[in-house]
Amino acid sequence: PGTLAAANLTQPGEDSLYPISVYIQLPNLPIFNLQPSMKRIVHIAIDRAIREVIVSPVVERSVAIAGIATRELIIKDFALEPNEDKMRKAAHLMAQNLAGSLAIVSSRDPLRVGMITQLQNLLRQNGITEQSVSEQVVFTIVADNLDLACSVMERAAAEKSIAEIDEELGPAYLNRRKHRERSSQLYYDVSVYAASRYPSSLPEPLRLKPNGLTASQFRVYEDFSRMTRVAPEATVADVPDRELKSRDNSLLQMEDVVPQIVTQAMEKMEVAISELE
Amino acid sequence: LILDLTASPSFGAAVQPGAAGQSGAGADRREAALVELSKKRETYEDLAPILWHSFGVMTALLQEIVLVYPCLSPPSLSNQASNRVCNALALLQCVASHQDTRALFLNADIPLFLYPFLNTTSKTRAFEYLRLTSLGVIGALVKSDNSEVINFLLSTEIIPLCLRIMESGSELSKTVAIFIVQKILLDEMGLAYICQTYERFYAVGTVLSNMVLQLVEAPSVRLLKHVVRCYQRLGDNPRAKEALRQCLPEPLRDNTFAGVLKDDLTTKRCLGSLLVNLSESS
Repeated sequence: PGTLAAANLTQPGEDSLYPISVYIQLPNLPIFNLQPSMKRIVHIAIDRAIREVIVSPVVERSVAIAGIATRELIIKDFALEPNEDKMRKAAHLMAQNLAGSLAIVSSRDPLRVGMITQLQNLLRQNGITEQSVSEQVVFTIVADNLDLACSVMERAAAEKSIAEIDEELGPAYLNRRKHRERSSQLYYDVSVYAASRYPSSLPEPLRLKPNGLTASQFRVYEDFSRMTRVAPEATVADVPDRELKSRDNSLLQMEDVVPQIVTQAMEKMEVAISELE
Repeated sequence: LILDLTASPSFGAAVQPGAAGQSGAGADRREAALVELSKKRETYEDLAPILWHSFGVMTALLQEIVLVYPCLSPPSLSNQASNRVCNALALLQCVASHQDTRALFLNADIPLFLYPFLNTTSKTRAFEYLRLTSLGVIGALVKSDNSEVINFLLSTEIIPLCLRIMESGSELSKTVAIFIVQKILLDEMGLAYICQTYERFYAVGTVLSNMVLQLVEAPSVRLLKHVVRCYQRLGDNPRAKEALRQCLPEPLRDNTFAGVLKDDLTTKRCLGSLLVNLSESS
């Protein structure tokens, strides 16, 4: 194997978007020692796939959906909260988490496909045959680095979502500041209370508090920063049912619960379906 | 009634933010509250607006949803996690059904957070239940015969998601998915949308005709009913009617299903009127 032509690897203006190079994982194969540029090829393939997906509507849509959900729920929950900083803090935590979560879950497939295509193209362009790097190795490299690429999407979406939600809630922040400057009365968002009779008729424990959120209420929003985004280690889902049953009896009890809930949820549907007939 | 609700300790746990998403006892309290509340949700008429307007409840339910995203791909959803999120979805179904909360639910784009669930393909029970319960939420929305709902759904990718489930889901999932598509078709705007381009009509037509072929192999009166209704409704659109003259699957024309429909006069009549409609020139 000869040295790889640099011209094939970098195009003008194509510097790495994110400093991901140190995190790239490569399988322990002789080809990676014989060809030091292999790592660079993998890096560029990942980088290009990320670029493709990051400009696709995936991230933008995640940010938009997260922004709308955050705006609606925050305005409702913070209707009696006078402190716009508290509101902003909660909005940031929620919007970032929702946008990031949506971005990961919706960019995973396009990233996988993109990375495979880019990597195969680059290998071919650099004269590396399937004999030296098999399709299976390509799949392995992509699978090993998919979480890394997804985390770039997550970060991009989370970052964008802050500007988005601040814009959505801009008037709400401003109203609170103005109210403080003008009046010493308790703050309340008229629009929330005018729109429905429910907020004011709820029983006391469920109602919003006159001076804004209590510390324990605020914790619901702080929880967004504590939520882990790592899949649970124990995966029983893909084990055949028979095996599951013999292995763990406590799982058997759960099986009785699941269908019951689903059946319940379906009851209304069944009625609706029969109504059509 | 509302006071009764707060007296119930499990309800208190669900809405008390202290129970939100913490490890240990807090998380267990939320889980227990989800179980209790989803069981009781039929008992209280106004549960939906209470859920919506109580502090933090909708936010907590949204957390329950995104918490399982990491289990979707690669598929690693445990039965317990599926059970838990299905309870949260059951409460969202309640919010989607109630006329005082439906519009709020749509305005906040919350149905879109369920689409990643509908996009899964794993055949394990945990995933089947997840898809089915998620479809139930969308089904509860379309059940209202509300053009706002159809408008919302048409601006999203619900039709392709339903079409895929109609081709490869379990019998029950297929039924709910085709129910949603049928409800969209029954709406004037929905019918116009699906028949607007050849690609859209073709996508729906192809899946329906695949379903007919599957039904020849494994007959199901319930599914056949919906398939026939969908075709009949497509026949109300002049362009779709023209196309159906060419592409209505043969088994619907040649009495293949006579035996299956023996006891279902309504569907039999429906199929008859579809064939008559297609034989008339438009």
